[in-house]
Amino acid sequence: MATVIPVDQFISDEWYPGFKPGYGHAPWYVDPVRTFCKEDQKAFWFLDFHWQRGLTPMGLIFMEDGYNWSTQLAAEQMPLPPGRGLTCRLGGTHPYGSAIPVDDPREISQRARRLEHTLPGLLRDFEPIWGRMREEIKQGWDYFCDVDLSALSLAELRGNLIQARRYHKRAWEIHFQVMYPLLANYTGFYGVCTELGLHPAQIGRFLQGYDTKIMETDRELWRLAAAARAAGLEPVFAGHEADGIRAALAARGGPAGAWLTRLDDFLQVYGWRTEGPADIALPSWIEDPTPVLGMIKTFLEKDTDHDFEAARAAAVEERETAVDAARSVLTLEEQRLFDGGLASCRAANFPWWQDDHNFYIDLRVILPMRWACHAIADRIGAGRQDDTLYLFWEEIMDLSSGRRRYDAGLRGLVEQRKQYFDYWLQQRPSLPKVVGTIPESVNDPILIEIFGLNSHFLQAVAAAGSGSQAKVLTGVPASKGVGRGIARVLHDPGGLHRLSPGEVLVCESTSPNWTPAFAKIAACVCDGGGTLSHAAIVGREYRVPTVTGVGLATTLISDGDEVEVDGTSGQVTVLRPAAARPGGVPPAPAGQEGG
Amino acid sequence: MPAAIAWLDAIDPQRAIRACGAKMGRLAELPPVGVRVPQGFAVTADAYRRHCAKTDLDEVIDAALIGLGSDAEAAGIETAAQAVQAELTSREMGADLAGLITGAYEELSSRCLGINFPVAVRSSAIGEDSPTASFAGIFDTYLGVCGGDQVLEAVRRCWASLFSARAVAYRLRAGLHHRDMPMAVGVLELINAQASGVAFSASPVTGKTDRVVIETNWGWGEAVVAGRVTPDHVEVGKADGRILRYQVAAKKVISAFDYAAGRVVESDMPAQLADRRVLDDEQIAAVVDAVLAIERYYGYPVDVEWVLDKYRRAGEPACIVQARPVTLTNAGTNPMPTTWDPAAIATKYAFKR
Repeated sequence: MATVIPVDQFISDEWYPGFKPGYGHAPWYVDPVRTFCKEDQKAFWFLDFHWQRGLTPMGLIFMEDGYNWSTQLAAEQMPLPPGRGLTCRLGGTHPYGSAIPVDDPREISQRARRLEHTLPGLLRDFEPIWGRMREEIKQGWDYFCDVDLSALSLAELRGNLIQARRYHKRAWEIHFQVMYPLLANYTGFYGVCTELGLHPAQIGRFLQGYDTKIMETDRELWRLAAAARAAGLEPVFAGHEADGIRAALAARGGPAGAWLTRLDDFLQVYGWRTEGPADIALPSWIEDPTPVLGMIKTFLEKDTDHDFEAARAAAVEERETAVDAARSVLTLEEQRLFDGGLASCRAANFPWWQDDHNFYIDLRVILPMRWACHAIADRIGAGRQDDTLYLFWEEIMDLSSGRRRYDAGLRGLVEQRKQYFDYWLQQRPSLPKVVGTIPESVNDPILIEIFGLNSHFLQAVAAAGSGSQAKVLTGVPASKGVGRGIARVLHDPGGLHRLSPGEVLVCESTSPNWTPAFAKIAACVCDGGGTLSHAAIVGREYRVPTVTGVGLATTLISDGDEVEVDGTSGQVTVLRPAAARPGGVPPAPAGQEGG
Repeated sequence: MPAAIAWLDAIDPQRAIRACGAKMGRLAELPPVGVRVPQGFAVTADAYRRHCAKTDLDEVIDAALIGLGSDAEAAGIETAAQAVQAELTSREMGADLAGLITGAYEELSSRCLGINFPVAVRSSAIGEDSPTASFAGIFDTYLGVCGGDQVLEAVRRCWASLFSARAVAYRLRAGLHHRDMPMAVGVLELINAQASGVAFSASPVTGKTDRVVIETNWGWGEAVVAGRVTPDHVEVGKADGRILRYQVAAKKVISAFDYAAGRVVESDMPAQLADRRVLDDEQIAAVVDAVLAIERYYGYPVDVEWVLDKYRRAGEPACIVQARPVTLTNAGTNPMPTTWDPAAIATKYAFKR
């Protein structure tokens, strides 16, 4: 019998104060963004790991335009034979996702036939196609960067915001138009490799070792850290919290001032990105470089710099070795199939794209909307720029067209919505990872490979009700090797600076902004994810043992537990609970234990 | 009157299977296509038929088995089988037939330049190895039998194995009658085995026909055939003869010749041999050559038992002691794609439901 986790706790007449559930006010393709209703219990919903803080009202535009609209559009146009894309329901401020199935077998085979005509060309010509799309996104980006918002009238700002929303939506349409075919091809290759008897851990290596824009950023971050070390600035970093470092360096002057100039140069190139994917509430590094300084601070705690060239050379060598080893066990007939798949997946390299595109899409296309919202906040005299992020689209349209004033009523509402956001932020660690009817298995490749909803995950969440506390957790072997250390359980990337070198990162899942942490951690464990999720890819690039798709790692592992992570077998063992270790649970240890 | 003894190198291959059963008959077919098989002869199915007729066994057997239907209970089958086997082993063989067999055995010994030369005595029933009923492992085989009396005894036991409880049960389930599968028995030179095993000209697991799969152990192959040892596992690509995999197993059991007992018995594997790789590349190639020659001859995938003689030199062929067509249960149902067709492959692997 299927396990059903009730959705009742999310069914409420009140949602964000001043907004009635029901939704459907934005255009949708197949299914709109909504709050939960009882009927939703029949479907299977997973807590989406991408927005671990929850989303503000303006942030939810991503769910409408990016998540629902763009996945559904791409899935219908490609088409994806068994699915119509993703849809979302809101548990408070937190999005739960679900795949929309195609149920009619006749329609599925019809869609599969259509796919035969769309997929091969797209894969073959991926490089120019993605090149054109990237160029389109960059041109739009340049346009918004060149607009002097301070020179625009309120009405013009309104027009700019509408443009920014269209740009954002278009970028996400591109995102899923590329992602689905690449993922389908990769998943097909993975399936073929598995049937050829190749080990899953081996398969991920065939496509690794290609530089991405995100890795380029990380390399520059480490160069900055090395420069700080060379300039003797380590004591400044060690002596201040991340948010105080900039001021301390500025006060010191001399080499510290020179280093700050270098930091600003870095930010001009790499700082146009948010700390997390697709969240309007997050500042860019340019706006607030605290995450950069915090990251450099922890890099400096390590005795040696991360050797990117060596890591990359090792990844490339490992790739070539893995390919040779794989081919050696295949017959000539099998080699033809394998070589064809490998060439296709290299020409349209999903793991590479999965990291690279974050720089162009996930981490920045929301920024023009953020700038416009902030500018409108300034213009209407809100006092606090973030106020407009707590408005719904119609409200900001009315304000910017002069139909409505930012009066005490609206201000009070924004205040209540901030409280509502904070309330749900507190709830996050205790939210159910899945709700509705848990299936025995899911077949959607995005759900399996990106969200890690494999059989292990489903078993873990289904068994969670039994209350049995597992000492050994199992997940997807995502990056080989064994790492041991103190677990640092993070529910929010804001806590990244708490990580000390040699610790084990335990989280729901990682996003591109978590990447630099991989240079210092001993291992990584994620609730979600598969062999292609961010942590898996970066774990392999950084050679950090990583297990994804564990299901309940953030629940079953406590902050401070001593754990061993076997990225080859996919097992995570709690060696010593925090309570049993001398010193108990250090909230943010200065020194390290174990390791 | 059809002959009671048929020498494998003298019988017309066209008639061999009908006279000597499938197992021995196929061995007669192979030397003309360049495959080495042991020397030897068969006690024909006719010899068995005449023995049964002469000693009233037909009536006795029918009486014992009457009333056993396809839904017979295990206990009933066991009782009937024991009764038939007791009758079969208690009836003396006619002096003329016994003389023919011991005479042929002495001839075989001298062809092998020995006296009381050890032989393999193998059941070879008519209709065994058919595509619908393989009777795999149902009938007896005796390895290392020495001396005329022992050969006669082994032949009678092979006959009796036609009525073991599992053979009777198997026939009842398959709807076959024992009269339709009289038992011929092969008497073959025992190859002095350094290593033996089985080989398939397709993967028995996946049904892929692009490879030869070999399983092997030191000594004789009985422990491998019966599944009582985990053998070394080898896979070889047919197209280029490249060794794809060689998995060395921890081999705990060996079928070895026991000189005191005068036959091949199973014993513990000496520690020095247990983890040692059995076959070198040249030996693997010899087995593969033989398997592919047999597959070419039959025109379909085959399953063979082979032996490498202790005194075999590099370049000499492997010796085939059994060959039969295999039924590929997995072939064709869900074949691997042969070229990279992204849409078809995504539909098969990414969008499976």
